[in-house]
Amino acid sequence: MSEPNTNAANSKNALEAPRILIENFDAWYGDFHALQNIGAKIAANQVTALIGPSGCGKSTLLKWMNRMNDLVPSARSGGTMRIGDLDILAPTTDVVALRRVVGMVFQKPNPFPKSIYDNVAFGPRLHFKISQADMDELVEWSLRKAALWDEVKDRLRKPALSLSGGQQQRLCIARTIAIGPEVLLMDEPCSALDPASTAKIEDLIYELRANYTIVIVTHNMQQASRCSDTTLFFLQGKVVESGPTQELFTRPKLKQTEDYVTGKYG
Amino acid sequence: MTELPKALQEFKPNEASERTELQRRRDRWFRALCLAVGCSSIAILFLLLVSIAYQGSSSLNGTFLSASHDPENPARAGMYPSIVGSVILCTLCAIISLPIGVAAAVYLEEFQPKNRWLLRLHGLVQLNIANLAGVPSVVYGLLGLTLFVYMFQLFGKLEQNQVSGIDFWGIQRYYQFVTADDLAVIFVLMDESRESTLKIESVRPAFDTNFRPIELQVWDPATPQPTDPEVLGRTVRKGDVGALVEIYSWYYFRLPFGPSLLAAALTLSLVILPIIVIASQEALRAVPSSMREASAGMGATRWQTTQQVTLPAALPGVLTGAILAMGRAIGEAAPIFVVLGGNIAKRTGPEHLMDSCVTMPILIFAWADNPVEQYRQLAAAAIIVLVALLLVMNSMAIYLRGRS
Repeated sequence: MSEPNTNAANSKNALEAPRILIENFDAWYGDFHALQNIGAKIAANQVTALIGPSGCGKSTLLKWMNRMNDLVPSARSGGTMRIGDLDILAPTTDVVALRRVVGMVFQKPNPFPKSIYDNVAFGPRLHFKISQADMDELVEWSLRKAALWDEVKDRLRKPALSLSGGQQQRLCIARTIAIGPEVLLMDEPCSALDPASTAKIEDLIYELRANYTIVIVTHNMQQASRCSDTTLFFLQGKVVESGPTQELFTRPKLKQTEDYVTGKYG
Repeated sequence: MTELPKALQEFKPNEASERTELQRRRDRWFRALCLAVGCSSIAILFLLLVSIAYQGSSSLNGTFLSASHDPENPARAGMYPSIVGSVILCTLCAIISLPIGVAAAVYLEEFQPKNRWLLRLHGLVQLNIANLAGVPSVVYGLLGLTLFVYMFQLFGKLEQNQVSGIDFWGIQRYYQFVTADDLAVIFVLMDESRESTLKIESVRPAFDTNFRPIELQVWDPATPQPTDPEVLGRTVRKGDVGALVEIYSWYYFRLPFGPSLLAAALTLSLVILPIIVIASQEALRAVPSSMREASAGMGATRWQTTQQVTLPAALPGVLTGAILAMGRAIGEAAPIFVVLGGNIAKRTGPEHLMDSCVTMPILIFAWADNPVEQYRQLAAAAIIVLVALLLVMNSMAIYLRGRS
């Protein structure tokens, strides 16, 4: 796997026109202040890694980016979070439309108990009225994009649950990109997978970067350093350090960051 | 190395042997007790089945399954109307209670409100469903009697052999006449007067026995009789009195329902609704929440998620609960007894929604109560049929559960 492109000019350019802008963002679960005064700019067509010890709030931030926290009754938020001109947090925002633009891949592979084909076609069937031929094309395109086509092309009608864990996770990625999102949120997508499957997903993330803005939460330091361009380091509900991944991993400004990325605690 | 706590220091394996022996003996006794209790319950069930098979198997034959109740001759009595009645009643009951029960479960599980007051209502409904599942079924019978059979007498009092209540559709009323040649019967349509008999004076719209319209002739017996046999076949004597005949379609509908198939089905639906709701809720709860998240994450609305992901995944569990509830409904006697009464004389299954209906438990009850020994044997045979039907339904439930 090649090193991610951390070309400084590219990175700077992207930061000037961030895809997702987060300012003074706070989040609560009931009385628990999970995230405090977060500010971040998620660059377009880059992989942004959110790292930090468990319970530091990185998954919470991710779940607010497509309002999955709406499913949690006690979750509240404050501050600004916008994607382009769209205010993500506004109560009037259509979450159905938002989630079409901001797709999510979960920690555990969670394909539906349907066939492989129906899993990929699930989202398109919700959102588009298209012919069978167009649907076939879309399913193939999505599966190719998720580097799964060659493995499943002869058994599209077989249940998705018959696939291995790594294949299931790539199917979930295919399912997510089949509705044409701009942003992909990944919540520890490899934590339930073996090293070989993990490597495949990481390759995939690296390739998808060309077309999508990717935000990934990970506990795996090697993974963050291998496949992300920018890293945000979280500690107790705050972003304590952020910057280009290579810089953050090789020359961290803070002692806490250095301890965490070198594995002294976490 | 730290010193061991006192209790462990003093522990000597040999000294403890007396205690251990006592505990072992208790363990053996407990195991024997469990075995005895388990065996006795199976033995009681086995005894029940054997005694019923012994009493009933001799009466179980083709006639028994195809004939209706005969109050004179037990050898010619059968349970055909009650089998048809029970099956139709249960089907109707399923058609009514399944959509309502599953919808209630979906509301309770998938659409929990965020609003504080609605949340309280939600909790209240949840609590009440759990309570309703424990209400004795005869209470539901009384509820059905007031609510469905009499409808608080809002639509008039129901009396035997009287035009009462409000008919909506599916009924035709005729007066029945014998033709002048005494060979056939013709029907004259009832008009707005709604009298219970008609003295015929003039030509009216009329129908033959196949309910095809015919051209009626009224013949004054003081004048010479028409000679053409074709004309005679559609002629009635002037001044004849025709009795009221009511012809019902299967969808005949009236208010109040009276002691009818529909009232019984609605009452039974009330009995089994809590069972269906609770079983469906369990099935929905067993669907992993990651499925809902995945669906919501792709921009599905809550209804789309429910309809396309959660309900299909919960379907085997929902169906299992539904079949168990049907088993309860088919064996239920008390509410049917209150709503329909204990009359078992009907010779056919129910023919329309407002028809009366005999069910297997009612028939068994009536036969088992009969002083004639042979009828009690028939009751045992009917129990075999009922148990066989229940066994088939429960096997279906187990099969469906195995597939989930």
